[in-house]
Amino acid sequence: MNDKKLHEDQKYIDGLADNNAFIIQAIYDKFAPKVINYIKQNSGDAYDAQDVIQETIITIYNQAKQKKLQLTCPFDAYFFLLCKRKWLNQLKKSKGKEVTINEEVLSKDDDAQVLSFETSIFENKQALFNEMFQQLGDACKDLLKASFKIKSMEDVAKSLDITYAYARKKKSLCIGQLTKLVKASPKFNRLNY
Amino acid sequence: MEEQDYIQFEAYLVGDLSEEDLLAFNMRLESDPEFNKSFEIYKDLSSNLEHQIANEREIFDFKANLDVISSQHFNAIHDKELVVKPSPKSNFYKYAVAASVVVLLGFFVFNQFGGPKYDDYNNFDPISLTVRSSDDSNFSKGEQSFNAKNYKEAIKVFNLILEDDFTNLEIQLYKSMALVETNRFEEAEILLGKITNGNSAYQNKAKWILALNYLKQDKESECIKVLKTIPQDAEDYKTAQELLEKLD
Repeated sequence: MNDKKLHEDQKYIDGLADNNAFIIQAIYDKFAPKVINYIKQNSGDAYDAQDVIQETIITIYNQAKQKKLQLTCPFDAYFFLLCKRKWLNQLKKSKGKEVTINEEVLSKDDDAQVLSFETSIFENKQALFNEMFQQLGDACKDLLKASFKIKSMEDVAKSLDITYAYARKKKSLCIGQLTKLVKASPKFNRLNY
Repeated sequence: MEEQDYIQFEAYLVGDLSEEDLLAFNMRLESDPEFNKSFEIYKDLSSNLEHQIANEREIFDFKANLDVISSQHFNAIHDKELVVKPSPKSNFYKYAVAASVVVLLGFFVFNQFGGPKYDDYNNFDPISLTVRSSDDSNFSKGEQSFNAKNYKEAIKVFNLILEDDFTNLEIQLYKSMALVETNRFEEAEILLGKITNGNSAYQNKAKWILALNYLKQDKESECIKVLKTIPQDAEDYKTAQELLEKLD
């Protein structure tokens, strides 16, 4: 990925990561109409489009901030594919609706396919990770929250009134427990590990 | 995986493994697919937790910002779709319109005597953007639209400029004025809030526009609050004081 040339539309990714209102606005002005059209033509309305677009932008933001998302294709194609996939998945879930996924209509841009697929996987991961975190005991939740908020494990240990060595060991084991929960989940196969 | 494996994962990520352990760790990553997979998950979990917990505030701000922009974009679309077409058989609609016109008229007449109004204060000086960037047609388009009071068009052009140069405070300020003119109050408030909280030459002007933004919405107490923060050396200090007197 890294040897490929960054697309100039990377400015949208960076702008999202910076919470730049002008960029967000520009994304709505330029790229939303196509998505709205598509959803309206496929059993949805403007409200559905609003949700799909908003969720998609949040996912891109999360990935951009966390994984330093590098765009090697036009934002337009990438964004459209993400929104489209999200909408079709929603249609599939709500029973009774017949869905025809017309793959030929998909963009011919390979990079857009690959990148949007990676982002969809990223979204699945994040959703499952958050779901599993809720299943942890309070002791683990508190320790993990403290250790990612405070950063210095010495201070974390102090704030929780435990020794440094124990805090550090406990942190590994709590994330270890999460690892096990994630692996055992029926949704694990959607994560492409 | 054993407890010890997770402790090793953490040590590896923190960069705490001895050279010897590191070598063994890397070898196991290559030879033991289950170990490798667990490590990948552990790494992703750790990175996700770090993002969600350490950036909690930023994520919250981003979502709030996104909410406003999304609603603004879609409200226009929803409104268009919801327009009720009056039935020719019913006169109710006509009467309702007539009644609301009467109410509105009453409101305006009442307001005429009710106190200072936005329109008394929005005679903005013409702006000049072209001296600095004569080669850029967007700057001249923005300037012309704004000075011709074609604020909708001006906002479009300002957005284009800001897309490439989003830190341009001057354009941000003019955009916010155009937003107030076109009744996009919420957006104006966010933008002006940013400029007033900054430390730029446009800070005081932004306070004045923010006060006008409130005045136009008849939010008197908010307007007064902002007016009081405009310092004596500000260009709009005198006018601000006058307005303050009328409101108090």
